[in-house]
Amino acid sequence: MQVITAFIAIASGVLVLGGYFFPALAGVQTLLLNWAIILAGVAAIVGILNLTSVHMDKIRRGEKGSAYSALLVIGLAATFFFGMILRPQHNVMQMVLNGIIVPVEAALMGLLTVSLLYAAIRLLRRRTDMMGVIFLLTAALLFLGSATLPFGDIPLIGTLIRPWVSQILALGGARGILIGVALGALTTGLRVLFAVDRPYGGT
Amino acid sequence: MIFPPDLITGVISFIFTILIFSYLIGDNPLFRIAVYIFVGVSAGYVAAIALWQVIVPRLIYPLVFGSMNEKIFAAIPLLGSLFILLKVSSRMAGVARMTMAFLVGAGAAVIVAGAVMGTLIPQVGATINFFDLNAAVAVGISKGEAFGNGLVVLFGTIFSLVYFHFGASPKADGSMHRFGLIEIAAWVGRIFIGITLGAVFAGVYAAALTALIERIASIINFFANLFGNF
Repeated sequence: MQVITAFIAIASGVLVLGGYFFPALAGVQTLLLNWAIILAGVAAIVGILNLTSVHMDKIRRGEKGSAYSALLVIGLAATFFFGMILRPQHNVMQMVLNGIIVPVEAALMGLLTVSLLYAAIRLLRRRTDMMGVIFLLTAALLFLGSATLPFGDIPLIGTLIRPWVSQILALGGARGILIGVALGALTTGLRVLFAVDRPYGGT
Repeated sequence: MIFPPDLITGVISFIFTILIFSYLIGDNPLFRIAVYIFVGVSAGYVAAIALWQVIVPRLIYPLVFGSMNEKIFAAIPLLGSLFILLKVSSRMAGVARMTMAFLVGAGAAVIVAGAVMGTLIPQVGATINFFDLNAAVAVGISKGEAFGNGLVVLFGTIFSLVYFHFGASPKADGSMHRFGLIEIAAWVGRIFIGITLGAVFAGVYAAALTALIERIASIINFFANLFGNF
């Protein structure tokens, strides 16, 4: 079984990768990616089934917080039921999207202002080393420089320092981090394609 | 009496915003109710989207209405889907490995291609383009300024990358240290990374502040519309 799974992973990876470089393999690549999209969709459904079964177990056992789990399962079942009958584009489903999902996401994002400010204050109190000071100083400078004020930009900070820090200094570090992440992703991907790493279950 | 859909959406949105903002006074049951309902509704919505926009048009439709070729090509992911569904049972989970192996292999190939063509080549190219002095002069930047900026970005990129090199050799006292030059470059790289993370923090904070202002404005608008109608 381990040999078969490794062969499937290597073959599918090589064919998909080959499609990027050899036009003759583009059709096979499209077909395989289409299958991968279908399987990812099914995997998402299985994940949601697992979420439901975990919370159903909590309700059945009457664990602490099972009332919240009941709300989750009712919300999930109702949304899925109406989504299947009415389709996601229907007005009722758009009402669910604009009435619950989007406002809750935006409100949670809004809560970040408090948590981030708290985290910044804690950083300043607990770790006043060079990195902490540079980090907070840069954040404060960029924030002040990009603030919309009644009298326009703050002289020097808004017109000269902020653009230079964000477009040159921060760009250098960001590029280094991005290239580092890409090299890490490349290495991990190649390890999977050479079957050195087998996260699908083979040892 | 039929309520207009906008009013219903506004009331629900208002209630959930208040429930989430109740977290400002600490973790409480109202916040948990909102979060659990949000997770359930989002999961149900994602399931409906996955079925209607992925599984039905790409799998069910070709199997039912497609040509013989389309049916054969759709039969393979159908088999894979059945294998994934068997993952729910712990005894049959091993069969799902074949499908997972296919997904991991295809995903790894997409990641490799994305890393090379989407990040490495464009980022290296953009760093080189900073030294295109004629292009800088064409947009009104002096050659000296463009060259200086290019050098700062180049050194920032190199030193930040060096910071992530953790290869070290043991000293006589048993402690581990990086090679001297790498240690110095990594120290400079730390400064660049600190500045970058500070810039990212400022960006995220600005986005969070925008979301907070939008939610507060929606609450004010809700009341204004409600009392304007009566």
